[in-house]
Amino acid sequence: MSEQNRSPDILLNVEGISLSFGGVKALNNISFDVRKGEIRAIIGPNGAGKSSMLNCINGFYHPQEGQITFKGETRKQMQPHKAAEQGIARTFQNIALFKGMSTLDNIMTGRNLKMKTNFLWQALHLGPARREEMQHREAAERVIDFLEIEQIRKTPVGRLPYGLQKRVELGRALAAEPDLLLLDEPMAGMNHEEKEDMCRYILDVNDQLGTTIVLIEHDMSVVMDISDRVVVLDYGKLLADGTPDVVRANQDVINAYLGVTHE
Amino acid sequence: MTGLMPSSGLRDTFPKLLLDNARLRADKPANREKDYGIWLTWSWSQIAEEIRALACGLKDLGVEPGDKVCVCGDNRPHLYWALTAVQSLGGVPVPVYQDSVAEEMQYIYDHAEAKYAIVENQEQVDKLLEIKHQIPNLKSIVYNDSRGMRHYDQGFLHLYADVQDRGRAYDAAYPDFFLSAVDQGQGSDTCAMLYTSGTTGRPKGVMLSFDNLLITANNGCIREGLSEDEETLAYLPMAWIGDNIFSHAQAYCAGYCVSCPESSDTVIEDLREIGPTYFFAPPRIYESLLTTVMIRIEDAAKSKQRMFHYFMGVAKRVGMDILDGNPVAFGDRLLYGIGNILVYSPLKNVLGLSRVRVGYTAGEAIGPDIFIFYRSLGLNLKQLYASTEASVFITIQPDGQVNPESAGTPAIDVDVKITDNGEVLFKSPGVFQAYFKDEQATRETKTADGWVRTGDAGYMDGQGHLRIIDRSKDVGKLRDGTLFAPKFLENKLKFFPHIKEAVTFGHDRDYVSAFINIDLESVGNWAERRNIAYSGYTDLAGQDAVYDLIQTCVEQVNGDLAADEKLSGSQIKRYLILHKELDADDGELTRTRKLRRQPIAERYAELIDALYSGKTHCPVEAQVTYEDGRTDTINADVQIRDAMTHGASVRAAE
Amino acid sequence: MEFMENVFVLPFLDIADSPVFFLEVIISGLLSGVMYSLVALGFVLIFKASGVFNFAQGAMVLFAALTLVGLMEQGVPVVIAILLTALLMVVLAILIEHMMLRHLVNQEGIILFMATIGLNFILEGVGQIAWGSDVKKLDIGIPDQSFEYAGMLFNTLDLSAALIAAIMVTTLALFFQYTGTGRALRAVADDHQAALSVGIPLKSIWIIVWSVAGLVALVAGILWGTKVGVQFSLVLIALKALPVLILGGFTSVPGAIIGGLIIGVGEKVVEVYWGPAFGGAIEGWFAYMLALAFLMFRPQGLFGEKIIERV
Repeated sequence: MSEQNRSPDILLNVEGISLSFGGVKALNNISFDVRKGEIRAIIGPNGAGKSSMLNCINGFYHPQEGQITFKGETRKQMQPHKAAEQGIARTFQNIALFKGMSTLDNIMTGRNLKMKTNFLWQALHLGPARREEMQHREAAERVIDFLEIEQIRKTPVGRLPYGLQKRVELGRALAAEPDLLLLDEPMAGMNHEEKEDMCRYILDVNDQLGTTIVLIEHDMSVVMDISDRVVVLDYGKLLADGTPDVVRANQDVINAYLGVTHE
Repeated sequence: MTGLMPSSGLRDTFPKLLLDNARLRADKPANREKDYGIWLTWSWSQIAEEIRALACGLKDLGVEPGDKVCVCGDNRPHLYWALTAVQSLGGVPVPVYQDSVAEEMQYIYDHAEAKYAIVENQEQVDKLLEIKHQIPNLKSIVYNDSRGMRHYDQGFLHLYADVQDRGRAYDAAYPDFFLSAVDQGQGSDTCAMLYTSGTTGRPKGVMLSFDNLLITANNGCIREGLSEDEETLAYLPMAWIGDNIFSHAQAYCAGYCVSCPESSDTVIEDLREIGPTYFFAPPRIYESLLTTVMIRIEDAAKSKQRMFHYFMGVAKRVGMDILDGNPVAFGDRLLYGIGNILVYSPLKNVLGLSRVRVGYTAGEAIGPDIFIFYRSLGLNLKQLYASTEASVFITIQPDGQVNPESAGTPAIDVDVKITDNGEVLFKSPGVFQAYFKDEQATRETKTADGWVRTGDAGYMDGQGHLRIIDRSKDVGKLRDGTLFAPKFLENKLKFFPHIKEAVTFGHDRDYVSAFINIDLESVGNWAERRNIAYSGYTDLAGQDAVYDLIQTCVEQVNGDLAADEKLSGSQIKRYLILHKELDADDGELTRTRKLRRQPIAERYAELIDALYSGKTHCPVEAQVTYEDGRTDTINADVQIRDAMTHGASVRAAE
Repeated sequence: MEFMENVFVLPFLDIADSPVFFLEVIISGLLSGVMYSLVALGFVLIFKASGVFNFAQGAMVLFAALTLVGLMEQGVPVVIAILLTALLMVVLAILIEHMMLRHLVNQEGIILFMATIGLNFILEGVGQIAWGSDVKKLDIGIPDQSFEYAGMLFNTLDLSAALIAAIMVTTLALFFQYTGTGRALRAVADDHQAALSVGIPLKSIWIIVWSVAGLVALVAGILWGTKVGVQFSLVLIALKALPVLILGGFTSVPGAIIGGLIIGVGEKVVEVYWGPAFGGAIEGWFAYMLALAFLMFRPQGLFGEKIIERV
């Protein structure tokens, strides 16, 4: 991969992104950057454009204006599987797991890009393919161990409770050993205990695996606790950007977000 | 069996047995553990080396003879090795319940004067760091799992593997040290200290010698004919005496392999993979296994259900007799054989119990239905009567003479007698040395001539089997003088799968009444099948339909009681379903899930008053503590119901 | 009255009369059932992976068989002809992805279905323009002899066909369950968006699926072609796959297999024993009646996924 980093610290740089569906502007000239190794939060009320922003980063949406620079490579349009190849993994707000497959199989799909043997070898299930399968199984087992989900290894994920599904989805993203992990409301719909668990896993991922994380969340208290820097969006516009303390003190944010009742 | 007698001089301590096993069974598996989805195996010679390295490392760290070393974590081979490593230095390992909260830990560390701790992971280290300033004796903490420990830079924290590396260096420098240290150990030395969970008051440290544990363990092996080919799964807390015997002492005596589950949540899966031949579980585990089976059966197709119930009927009729070797008609034998292929075998396989040769249960009374269920499947399940002070075995049900109501006959070398007021006393090689730093308690429990008071009321029946009724101090009387045995009643209630816990009241009262905790899984499933919506325990517990369900259980118990002249007066007149589950975190149960009556009586005084007044409703507010220490308040309006009681005439009618 | 007797009494008497013959009927039913399974499997594969009901599956069978026969008529040795045809089916899959699927991403299922109807006509047309529309005999060297065993009559061609089909079905099942590509295929079938996010390239997956379906069509074409000759009516065999799918469920590989066997056996038994009551030729419509009954009582099929709503 060509490494032409302008600044070694910046992993992802988003410049002047605008996205609209029909006449509706979902994102309006948004710019921010993500440093290597940090936990970066994007917050804002529902409909502020948070998920759209994530979808632009991993290539589900193609913004009409602006550019995204990831690992020093600038691009305008991106295909989702190309983004995955470059080291971006993500989870979804409404869990998108392969419901009929077991936890282990779901996590193994996360290894898909690391599989080098071709289709034919696999079809024969011989030699290199078999050896490779073992290696990937081991990597998947490490993820299972990390997230403490041994007990559901063989369970079809469709049968798992919501909180565990979220954890399996995180596991699938981790299995890809991403440089950048995008988490879309990782704690939505969880009870307090599950939220604390999820926070711990996010911090552990960041700390022990060194993964850079961008997360969307509307539970302010959680965000402020675990993020290094926070971007605040409101109706597709960037309202504030800085450390949790700076953001908390920002008058615009207080007016637009903290002052208003939210979920 | 070659020279199993520990007192032969060679095999009288764990470290000596270890070295012996490393010679006799060098390549036989000693431990297994599932890690990253794969079972890893250590042979006896490998664990001998691991233990030697750890022992030398601990020596280098400063452990001296007589030092107490706390060991705490889930069942892990590394922690079992720690026990033997400490013992080979003449130290005394003190296993601690891994789910104890910091406060409970602090008491034990403080009381035991522990200087070292060997723990599993970050969770346990964190708990110790929280109380470190209150336990100044603690010098070093060794942890096994490095996960999450990267930023811990305190000098007194050591990684298990690093300690072993130090040990190997130490061993190279002083090659004679380890063997001479092992040689100095004697059978009469204190080899472990176990804290009893304490239904009353503070936990007491029971000091046990090598002789206590090893002679008792060996007698147990002889009685059941255990060999080096047994398979066991160590999944019960290491701090509990039973695990010390089943997963450690007996494994060392007989030389069999002990496997450790991947995590506490995977036990059922791991059971299936290991297929133990020797298995211990408290009644609640057999109960919950049965509950999961029944739930799955109820979800199965109608034809399968019919098949299951038909063959379970056959098993109930003849299964126990076939297991006990009694004569059974050929036709029934044939049916049982078919049932075995279609139902019993697959069922045992699903439960991971197909290979069990000896299955034990103890700790609480097991429901006769549950007991019979397993035995009729052909599983040799037997009850024991056991205590920490006896190094487990007091009585065991002998093969072929298993009666669900009794606790069996005395184990080898054990004498049992009953005092005039009905208390059970015993004397055995396993009788503990003393309670640590508590002479008064020692004297109260252990008589001058070596008998130990169990505090249980019981009697010997016609066949020489011991029967236990209740804790002798818990047996009370109603105002009219009727006998009131609370635990007996509670167990009868708990035998219904829908009832998880029960607390009965009646001592010095006019009648008996009860608190019920429903079993959320079982009743929840029941409710789902009837399309009854509920948001959680409190909501479900308050529903009329659930009350109706429980009512039938309570009245059935009353029917049973009415048939017994002595107990007829203690039928349950009023009851309520508690709005929250009794929880060890709230101090309502012990860590081994026994009731703590005093705290319950204090906390729910209002509800008890309501039971003894005419009220039909009682508003309550309760504090609950979550696992993370947060507290929350629940508000509920608890319904109180009357149950039908029967006159003594019922007996005549039956 | 006589009709009632013909339906409810006589057939059972016949069965009881000669159990060996009954067994023979069942076995011949199983053997043709395996062939139905094979065609149905082609549908299931594509339906699972892309949610497309491939109307052209029958045409693919015909196309593959025609190509093979055509090549052999040109004097190409059997083995090479089969390999070439297989290659052509893969090329076809690539073309389908490039020219059709790629442009229809995220369209309604019905639009994709319409597209496969178009594909159906193209394949039928091209195949017949290239190789002619005469009935052709296909002989790839599988012996076609009858022999008796345990009092029952067997045909080597039927047996070989069943064996080949069984091997094919087993291989596919194992491939799906145990290889990385198989896992990726299942993942795509389960959730497109999630599959994209873990970097599974939809396009190559589609090519693989259509290739596999093409290869299955080739095998089915060889077997049916050898049995009944390569002719336009092969397309109709695909229609037989419909009741099989309804029985087995559109998304279940084992369902396709067992559905095929049930239809095969049902057809034969009904034809032999109940045929006289209805004046014969029940074989033609029995499968559809059975499917209709299934649609009424168990619309998800024997093995189809139950739709469970999580609240």
